[in-house]
Amino acid sequence: MLRATTKVVSMFVIFSLLMFDFTVPAAKARMIDTETAIAVMRHQDDRARIAAFLERQDVQQAMIRYGVDPDEAKDRVASLTDSEVRQLAQAMDKLPAGGDGVGAVLFALLLVFFVLLFTDIMGYTDVFPFVHKGSGRK
Amino acid sequence: MIPGDWAGNLRVTGPFVFAILLFLAGCGTISRQAMTLPESSPPQVTVADVPFYPQEEYQCGPAALAMALGWSGVTVKPAELTPEVYAPEREGSLQADLIGGARRHGRIAYPISGSEQLLAELAAHRPVIVLVNRGFFWYPEWHYAVAIGYDQPAGEIILHSGVTPHRALSYRVFDNLWQRSGRWGLLVLPPDVLPVNVKEEDWLAAAVGLERAGQYEAAETAYKTALTRWPKSFGTLIGLGNSRYQRGELAGAAEAFRRAAAIRPADGLPYNNLAQALFELGREDEAIAAAKAAVERGGPLKKEFEQTLAEIEAKAAR
Repeated sequence: MLRATTKVVSMFVIFSLLMFDFTVPAAKARMIDTETAIAVMRHQDDRARIAAFLERQDVQQAMIRYGVDPDEAKDRVASLTDSEVRQLAQAMDKLPAGGDGVGAVLFALLLVFFVLLFTDIMGYTDVFPFVHKGSGRK
Repeated sequence: MIPGDWAGNLRVTGPFVFAILLFLAGCGTISRQAMTLPESSPPQVTVADVPFYPQEEYQCGPAALAMALGWSGVTVKPAELTPEVYAPEREGSLQADLIGGARRHGRIAYPISGSEQLLAELAAHRPVIVLVNRGFFWYPEWHYAVAIGYDQPAGEIILHSGVTPHRALSYRVFDNLWQRSGRWGLLVLPPDVLPVNVKEEDWLAAAVGLERAGQYEAAETAYKTALTRWPKSFGTLIGLGNSRYQRGELAGAAEAFRRAAAIRPADGLPYNNLAQALFELGREDEAIAAAKAAVERGGPLKKEFEQTLAEIEAKAAR
């Protein structure tokens, strides 16, 4: 009796599954929604801006002075998640562009931020809550 | 949120408030914001055509939203909004409920904060829903009212609040109550009206919210309006294409995606969506070319692009 019921139910389930046309809803799903589009664009722009910042001659020199290997810095930024990159880019936005005397001070502050970010990632310090502690060097 | 006489409440509790304010000022937690009007604003404004609905008990959220919607051209009674924005267990409405409620009626919900923005919007004749705390931080009595104007010489804000229309409150008292919500305000606008100090990011978020609420026609209008201000906004063009696609306007969607692709030529995403729109238009060869263009450009969504291409090719081969 139970077996017969199971059989009927199974047949019904299999039949219903066969009736579904999976291709139609899937075709709709191929459109990428606006939210995703904006998020991806923002992350790409943030990463590009941070990369451009790290490429700057004065930034590279300053990093060397502080004992941070510029290539290592780039690797570390590349390993940040999108939300971490967003926070970093926003922190950069808050500081005016350098160049003059005031700019130099701000630049030093920003550099401290970067250095702490790196040491945070490496597990030497714990300043930024958004940095997930890894096992140190990759 | 009991409908009542604010001034009456304040008379009774005045000395108490003063004591608390002194205490808080010592801690530096009260920061007064100057009520400064933008230049060349009229000295007195009362926004016309804001209907007044007296609130029933605890129902200030639905009442405030109905007033703001009514001004924006959507006539709806607070009672009709209650199931959408009122949570009986909280005896009130959350800010997110009001935002969602406005969107479900095809209106832009645009949060603002601070007196500068509030006065700028009022000066431009737009009402603003404000969240105030009529109690204390340790005994909160949250309340939504609708700011409908100001009187600069008298130093007053004019509100539709509770059971009282056109209530005038001095800037000082109003700011005391309002600052406890972080000076939170909400504009409810037709999708073709931009706020005075509009930010592209915030307007886009509001338009995306309309898409999410399934209000594609309003979303399309919101994106078109955004393009008048930011003609090269990539996100806006993608949103325009997506909302047109949802409405079945495939040719218009394709046009928007092409414009987006021209703005960010290295981005595969517009090509992916373009491919789908073209395919549904029956332009299979062009669709395959667009899908291939998306895959070539790659990026974080490359897998999706590959799926689009594979599916279009499979269906075209049938």
